[in-house]
Amino acid sequence: MHFLRHSVPYALALIAIATVWQIAVWVSQANVAILPPPLLTLATLWELIANGELAKHTLASLSRVVSAWGLSVIIAVPLGLVMARSKTVERLLDPVIELFRPISPLAWIPLAILWFGIGETGKIFIIFIATFFPIVLNTVSGVKSVDPVLIRAGQVLGCTNEATLFWRVILPAAMPTIIVGLRIAFGTGWAAIIAAELVAAQSGLGYLIADGMEILRSDLVLAGMIAIGVLGVLIDSIFRLLGNRYDWGAG
Amino acid sequence: MRENSHSKSIEVSNLSMTFRSDDGTSVNALAPTNLEIEPGQFVAIVGPSGCGKSTLLNILAGFLTPSDGQASIGNEAVAGPSIDHGVVFQDYALFPWLTVLDNVAFGLKSQGIGSSERKEIAMRFLDVVSLRDFADKRPRELSGGMKQRAAIARTFATNPSVILMDEPFGALDALTRRFLQQQLLKIWSESRKTVLFITHSVQEAVFLADRIIVMTARPGRIKSDFLIELDHPRDFSSDSFRKIEKNVFDSLDEELAKTFGLAGNQLQGD
Repeated sequence: MHFLRHSVPYALALIAIATVWQIAVWVSQANVAILPPPLLTLATLWELIANGELAKHTLASLSRVVSAWGLSVIIAVPLGLVMARSKTVERLLDPVIELFRPISPLAWIPLAILWFGIGETGKIFIIFIATFFPIVLNTVSGVKSVDPVLIRAGQVLGCTNEATLFWRVILPAAMPTIIVGLRIAFGTGWAAIIAAELVAAQSGLGYLIADGMEILRSDLVLAGMIAIGVLGVLIDSIFRLLGNRYDWGAG
Repeated sequence: MRENSHSKSIEVSNLSMTFRSDDGTSVNALAPTNLEIEPGQFVAIVGPSGCGKSTLLNILAGFLTPSDGQASIGNEAVAGPSIDHGVVFQDYALFPWLTVLDNVAFGLKSQGIGSSERKEIAMRFLDVVSLRDFADKRPRELSGGMKQRAAIARTFATNPSVILMDEPFGALDALTRRFLQQQLLKIWSESRKTVLFITHSVQEAVFLADRIIVMTARPGRIKSDFLIELDHPRDFSSDSFRKIEKNVFDSLDEELAKTFGLAGNQLQGD
């Protein structure tokens, strides 16, 4: 029931997109190489699924995003926690973060190649940039918005040093907001795979798309785009389920 | 309920508090105040809004540092929040991510009590406030009155030597309030902790306390001090109850007149 209620809007959206797409094909009379019809694209997608190509590329992309996102979690969560608890650290780092934040991960491609070469590291670096800011910012805001009365309650119930107070009260109280940050970050990281895999990749959904463009196979490009969209929604819903476990409402 | 249940005295000498804001203005919340509370005494404080009664409680809890004077509990100066000085907050302050049982056991964990004994003690206190059946629920599944009962159980469970209660029933409806007053007396009579109880309700104060302190309008100081020697359970409609209630109201009315007479355009919250 739960699954059905959530999938119906998505099914309707897919039908609507396919309809508009088909109409566009009829009206424009475009060449198949430029705008392939939905059914042909679906057939290509099916072929990619059947011969295992899609799974291979998805796995390659996913492992890059997971590595970059994991690295971000390890660095950005503690950084956000420190920023939220120390005025000095926040004053010092906030301008730095605000200056870097508007720079698109795309802009880092040249430097990523110069610094890390064309291997995995450069790609992970670009995705890392994309995942870093949502995690830092949500962690800071999560910790800052902890109800002060909960902190006082923790103190009179024996959390008299900062470390115990932190582990037993502040961190659990901030958890729902931190998890939202982790979810958003995975989304922005997933969206950044195209940018990352433009850098001399041999695998990944970004590579699939770039390759489709080079060999003038728009159906491959579109199939790759569909895969990214659908997988993005699936991953997001896994995070939502995880988030629900931490959604305890107001005390 | 726990072995070697203990309670301590509260001593306040020349305690005063002035809040300074960034724009240089200052508010004198508490005028130099002296107060002594015997161990095991249940003391209610009433006074107009903004009379500094919450300030007094927050200093005793260790949340605020006074501008001058000293606050001691059991002849030891208050140096900060401590598990030995329990606090019950007006808005419950239950930890929303923990079950009711884990909330009540929270302080016991700080005291280094092992997990099975923790559970046993917490269950016993949930029994006293009739919440045993809700042990595995989250706070959000509880009504306001139930939350406050859980919070009271949480505070009493750690066996503090004084309990500070800041308008604990202020947000509850009249019926729930009556029920909670009875439950509080029940849990208190088993341990005879020193209690400092802040309230806006004179009736509540007369129903619960051994002693009522009326505070003046800002800057707060102690105006009158009533000892109540009625036996529990007290009857709201008895003549002796009514007489004490009237005396407290008479003392309070002058202060209310001052607050509102002078305030008009500058009414300040508590």
